[in-house]
Amino acid sequence: MKKSLFQKSLFLLCVFASLRLNPAVAVDHNNLDAGRPLEFDDASSVAFREQAIEFGAAVSKPKSGVNFEGSAEYLYGFAKNSHLSVDFDPRFAREESGARRFDSGDIGIGVFHNFNREYGSTPAFALRADAYLPTGRDSSGVDFRLRAIATKHIFARSQLHLNLDLNVNNGAHDGERQTQPGIILGYSQPLGYPSRFDRTLVAQIGYRANELQSENGVTTVGVGMRQQVGVQSVFDVGVLSDLTGGSSREKLKIVAGYSRQF
Amino acid sequence: MKPQKVAFAIIASLAISCGIAQAQSTLVESTSLPELPANLPSWLDNKNTNHLFHKRGKHNFDVYNIAPLARDLNAVAVGHAMAYEDLVTGKASTLESKTFNRINGVLENPPKFMPDEAFISPTFGRKYGVLEQVFDWTHVLHAQTVDVLANTSLSEAQKDKEIEALWDYYFQSVPYAITPLPMSMEYLDSQPYSGAFRKKYPKVNGLFWGYHWLQGSMYDALYGLNLQQQKQSYEIIGRRYHKTELYKTDRPFMPMFAETSPKFAIRFPKIANAFDNLHMLHDMVNDILSTDGISEAQKEQQIKRAIWLVSAQAHQGETPGEGADKTTGGSLHDHRYMEGMPGMGMMKGMTPELMWMPVMGWMNMSECHHCSMPLPKGENAWRTSTLSAEGWTMQVRCALCARDMSSETKGESILRIPLETPDKTLVVFSDEQGNLSTSTPGVLLLEEPGSHAKCNEWSRAFSSREAFNNWVKENPKYADAKLLTFAQWADLQGDKPDTYEKPQGPSNNPYDHAKSGTHIMDGGEEMNDADMPETASEPAAEIEETPNAESTETEQTFDESTEAEQTFEEETP
Repeated sequence: MKKSLFQKSLFLLCVFASLRLNPAVAVDHNNLDAGRPLEFDDASSVAFREQAIEFGAAVSKPKSGVNFEGSAEYLYGFAKNSHLSVDFDPRFAREESGARRFDSGDIGIGVFHNFNREYGSTPAFALRADAYLPTGRDSSGVDFRLRAIATKHIFARSQLHLNLDLNVNNGAHDGERQTQPGIILGYSQPLGYPSRFDRTLVAQIGYRANELQSENGVTTVGVGMRQQVGVQSVFDVGVLSDLTGGSSREKLKIVAGYSRQF
Repeated sequence: MKPQKVAFAIIASLAISCGIAQAQSTLVESTSLPELPANLPSWLDNKNTNHLFHKRGKHNFDVYNIAPLARDLNAVAVGHAMAYEDLVTGKASTLESKTFNRINGVLENPPKFMPDEAFISPTFGRKYGVLEQVFDWTHVLHAQTVDVLANTSLSEAQKDKEIEALWDYYFQSVPYAITPLPMSMEYLDSQPYSGAFRKKYPKVNGLFWGYHWLQGSMYDALYGLNLQQQKQSYEIIGRRYHKTELYKTDRPFMPMFAETSPKFAIRFPKIANAFDNLHMLHDMVNDILSTDGISEAQKEQQIKRAIWLVSAQAHQGETPGEGADKTTGGSLHDHRYMEGMPGMGMMKGMTPELMWMPVMGWMNMSECHHCSMPLPKGENAWRTSTLSAEGWTMQVRCALCARDMSSETKGESILRIPLETPDKTLVVFSDEQGNLSTSTPGVLLLEEPGSHAKCNEWSRAFSSREAFNNWVKENPKYADAKLLTFAQWADLQGDKPDTYEKPQGPSNNPYDHAKSGTHIMDGGEEMNDADMPETASEPAAEIEETPNAESTETEQTFDESTEAEQTFEEETP
């Protein structure tokens, strides 16, 4: 019971923190991290010696009911072109039993490395590896995700971001896939140029194998915006929808978040 | 129309076109381009992103305390990036029209936050990524030093210390720091491509040099002042920047840091030199990109060479004041500086003793520009007053010199007169009509006119009667002196200084050999020698070009391989 109260408090803290804007003090609006607000990363790491904290809250509509999710991620540029990340994603969601319960989620620890900047006709390439500790409800085994990222400009200032994922579920139950490949094609486009320089439109289309062997893969489309709201802070908002995905499908997901560098 | 008339019209049009084309030609024989030095370091070819974060500090982003300055600096970043992107994407032909208007729109409506230049000039970044790294990292130094100056919790001494720490952080974090040595601007600006950009695109070049003017002027406008004084100062500096400095197309050379912020340049010569060298690199890159007759590959090679020339690595083990080359009038390793100004390299046609500026003519930077007496130096350098007017900032020796010199200038001006301690400055503002005002209440001034040999004694400012009494203990002969209120002092006008000597330069105007006997004035008007107030009409044959290492009283030691160290000979004048 005590633990549950603690977890709920933590979740609420994340939600409140994500909504509290501080205009006085951005992570660059043009620098894209997964979850803020869509699912893809660009190939840029945070700067060497930079720290950033990113909060998010989401409301989603699965097959039935409404789920609430939060997220918090800390990033640290520990070396040139590389950063470490720690993230957790608590949620208040309906379980298979039908009851809605709080779940503190797995804690993720990741490392990101950018291999090169974009030059000539060569895209910028990066690799991100994450390990997810089984801290969430009914979670077992350490899961992994490997993500290869390529970013390239098209049409002047627009960028395409290709993310290739391999998710490894080490605690897979019967009927669940142990490895789930995925692919996301992201797009970003500055809005307002040449009179404003603080807003970026983002969009994505992605496909990933379903966690359940018996069900179709999940196709997700999304659109969002990142708006710089302070010298070191960015507010983001996005809408995602799973077009396919069987029982895992979320018809609609609305995401809002706040990132701050320091 | 008769066929003969049509033919005549065509021939005439062609002739005019050829004439215009010839007049604007910036054609360079590709065989005349300097070769790339051998064994260049690998960082010049790196393909990494290499983003580095600001040095941590509670002062970060405090430039937003002076919001109009912060926004103007944000617009500067946009202007540079837009011009570079258009230059490398085939839009050079509309640089003076469409690009200029687009940039000007941003300058008039500056962005609230600092934009990422890479986002505005992605093509340029893909092509010249290493150059972008050099620019970005030095721009961070620019931004952080201004943040420190605009901070309200650090003392002046703490600010000085933090600025030195910022330099060390800048210099030691990357291999591509810009050299802090004074460089021969004459050498850097005498490459086969030099001058191409300003000749082809005078309006956009004017904007660039306007940015450099702002990036220099802001330092003395903030240094040693409190936030209120800084905000008031930037009202005048900002007006000047937007109305005049951005649109000047008659500058003979880019604004040098020490011409606009001499006090900061003397205190932090490495930073002043690095900024001048950075701005010169901007000019070299502009010139290379706008030069006709050389291939894209040659442009890339010449830009790489330009980065190398101003990099700290290219000058390892070299020291300020050394490397004179009398035969060529400057060389890559000529690190002499102007006498009394370790933060400024040698300029075209000038001697270490005398420099030339538009409007002002020849001057010695170690002397008061009003009375020709030597300026305080070393640990007493803070006692120097400064006057900002007509786009320049001059050092003067006393309060009277500042006031009277201000009355001789056109337009608004800012006088900075030190009070009894280094952390207190009386800031005086002069409007267009010459009316003086200050926001420092209760200030008292001493003015007991005598020879200007002692003007630094008999013309002073104090924050209070008590401060004056303390000073009188060491200077008893002024015990009975009458102290003036600010209003009384502002109404005074002194006699022409008995010590004033008009410096005589080696030529009329080192930048204007073709127009001997005329001078380009502020606003583009030309004056004859006889009308020039400060400029010598006869060359001074007796002045020799002497390396600073032998002739100046200011000594400075730079050790680029270790931590920043500098020593100044500290004397009371």
